[in-house]
Amino acid sequence: MKTFKGYRRANGNIGVRNHVIVINTAGELSSFTKKIAQLVPGVIPVIQQGGESQYEEDLKQTVRTLIGTAGHPNVSAALLLGIGENSIANEVKEYLQEQNHHVEALHFNKSTSIATLLKEGKDWLEKAVKKSKAEKRVTADVSELIVGLNCGGSDAWSGITANPAIGSFSDAIVNDGGTSVLAETTEAIGAEHILANQAINAEVGQEFLKIVNDYEARIRETGEDIRSANPSPGNMTGGLTTLEEKSLGCIKKGGSSPLREVIGYAESPTEKGFIFMDTPGYDVESVSGLTAGGAQIVLFSTGKGSPTGSPIAPVIKIGTNPQVYKMMQEHIDVDAGKIIEGLNTIDEIGEEIYQKLIETADGSITASEKHKNQEFAIWRLAETI
Amino acid sequence: MEKYYFEGYLRKEGTAGTRNYIGVVCSVICSSVIANDISSKVPGTVPIIHSNGCAQLGDDFQVTKDMLVGVASNPNLYSALLVGLGCETNQISGLLDSIPKTKPVEGIGIQQLGGGENTLQKGVHIAERWAKELSDKRERLPLSNLTVGVVSVDIDEESLEKVHPVVGKVIDSLVAHDATVIMGITDTLAPAGPLLSERSEKKEVRAELSNLGEESYRKRWKETNSKVHAARNFSKEEKDLAALEAKLAGTSTIKGLLAYSENAEECGLYLTKASSNLVETLSNMISCGCNIALVVSSRGTLTGSIALPSMTLTPKSADGGAFEELVDYMVTEEDADIQSRNVIEELIKISSGKKTALEEYGLGEFSIPHVGTTF
Repeated sequence: MKTFKGYRRANGNIGVRNHVIVINTAGELSSFTKKIAQLVPGVIPVIQQGGESQYEEDLKQTVRTLIGTAGHPNVSAALLLGIGENSIANEVKEYLQEQNHHVEALHFNKSTSIATLLKEGKDWLEKAVKKSKAEKRVTADVSELIVGLNCGGSDAWSGITANPAIGSFSDAIVNDGGTSVLAETTEAIGAEHILANQAINAEVGQEFLKIVNDYEARIRETGEDIRSANPSPGNMTGGLTTLEEKSLGCIKKGGSSPLREVIGYAESPTEKGFIFMDTPGYDVESVSGLTAGGAQIVLFSTGKGSPTGSPIAPVIKIGTNPQVYKMMQEHIDVDAGKIIEGLNTIDEIGEEIYQKLIETADGSITASEKHKNQEFAIWRLAETI
Repeated sequence: MEKYYFEGYLRKEGTAGTRNYIGVVCSVICSSVIANDISSKVPGTVPIIHSNGCAQLGDDFQVTKDMLVGVASNPNLYSALLVGLGCETNQISGLLDSIPKTKPVEGIGIQQLGGGENTLQKGVHIAERWAKELSDKRERLPLSNLTVGVVSVDIDEESLEKVHPVVGKVIDSLVAHDATVIMGITDTLAPAGPLLSERSEKKEVRAELSNLGEESYRKRWKETNSKVHAARNFSKEEKDLAALEAKLAGTSTIKGLLAYSENAEECGLYLTKASSNLVETLSNMISCGCNIALVVSSRGTLTGSIALPSMTLTPKSADGGAFEELVDYMVTEEDADIQSRNVIEELIKISSGKKTALEEYGLGEFSIPHVGTTF
């Protein structure tokens, strides 16, 4: 039985990090989010640019993502910044406090001076950091882990090395009772029939085909061809020629386990095992959705080398070829290029990924954490009002 | 008529900056951390970072690209360093091709340079070189070199009643002094489209403005086709409030309705699309060529723009009633003519280098509107 040491939360969930965060519920508060986070060492600013004057579809998605992020098991405490009285910040706070999360909302309103607000924020964060430092890691089973699967800056090697190795890992953790969540609906286009056949039953298969079809329909409505954005210019210099080719490689991250559930952006899986989340191929938005859905760790394969991380979860970068590992070692944690060189098999790299995952869960720092890559963005649906 | 001047930085193409920044612009969110790191190491630079740049299609991508071209071209930037990842949709080479060659502009990429550390070093090297060239010398310029973005955000009826006589006169006076004024059409102002249309001499502008009062021109999820708009029926209350908000725009002739990132052809009053997301609206105004902004609200605002000095104006209320320390001008009961002159004088001081309240606090952001979903 594989275990790791994590932080047990009041609601029973287990985290692999013990972050204290400040998160804004309105784009207008981005600057103050940074300012308040800077007042107390170790506090992470989680900044998003939307949140105001949105159509209902975006508002719902924003609230769901904020709840999943501020209430994430890797978060020890979260300070939400809001404007005025009836803000999203209050809604999120009340929801999370009911579940015994350590959260507070700080409201910018006309009756309180900026200096007072900054002091209130600083005091709360200092206490939260102190409290977080007293929290100790405890042993937990890997079956409690949710691992997000993403790729960014793919090349022709992605589908041959890193993605199948991630698939091998995914099968292993699912076999151990854990959960892996494949994302990026765009990158299932052209290969959807294969994943649909992997579904546990016809209903899940149909749900999966529906999100892919809806995606394609939206693309057609823009009057554009998805092939003009994907494969991206970088994918093409990396040797990918069509979206189908990219997708066939992309879905290999899902391994061969049965697909048990299809969930919406930033939703939490209700089942264990292999899951699909409907996210865009835009990496930062996709990773933010995965973490808001409860993923404690994200695996991210890259052929061109991408530095992005997450403010919430450690992101483990898996290079697809020996060149990218050599060139961009500062951004990469696992070298799947060894498969090309004949040094390792796909399954051996899968095991290496599993080992890296356990080390990371135990507290070992990933490349993106080291470089403070804390990009965050919520998948945008419609235009701002 | 009194003649006004401000002290600005005259650029080669004849435009003028009210600030003299070196912009460090990311092409995509994936290079935002490095762009920010470069900026934090070189005084005189501003980080122009945002969440867009990849997995975008059609109009939505075009808006992102145009807005970055616009900000890089803005006269408040002495020079612009573009920082990319490499594999993104929004390629640095495409941006470089589109930015007019009137100032120092260079582009670097993380994948091309083999990682973040190298990119940071190279970027700092370029920015430091520019920082040495930077001259702090301002010169006396007429208001025809000023492009003022005016936007209202979160403003109620009571506040509008108090501020419109002053703001309206400010705009009319700026226009009379040959300044360019670009006013944002927010969602609350849109029902006044037909009313505003009467103030234009051009047939096509009148038609565009009339339409604003009849249909929503903001795209919804699952109806991304630009030809399909949700029909809207504005209530009498919405129309009345919009008519009041329209008084902020004074009485000058409306020369045109600018698209995102479109620059005004000549001086005078223009309108452009604005959202209640102030940062997005101000970013569009930079991109439309504004070199200063006037933000009108009931409560004051908690951020401004990273590269556009944003003067804030609210009504003065008995209970304090606003984030006072973040407000530059409070409208009182005093005569509107006198106050409009006060506002213009403050605007000129700010254009000449005086820091706005938001700048004093270091509150400034950049973000690009989406007109469709990401893929």
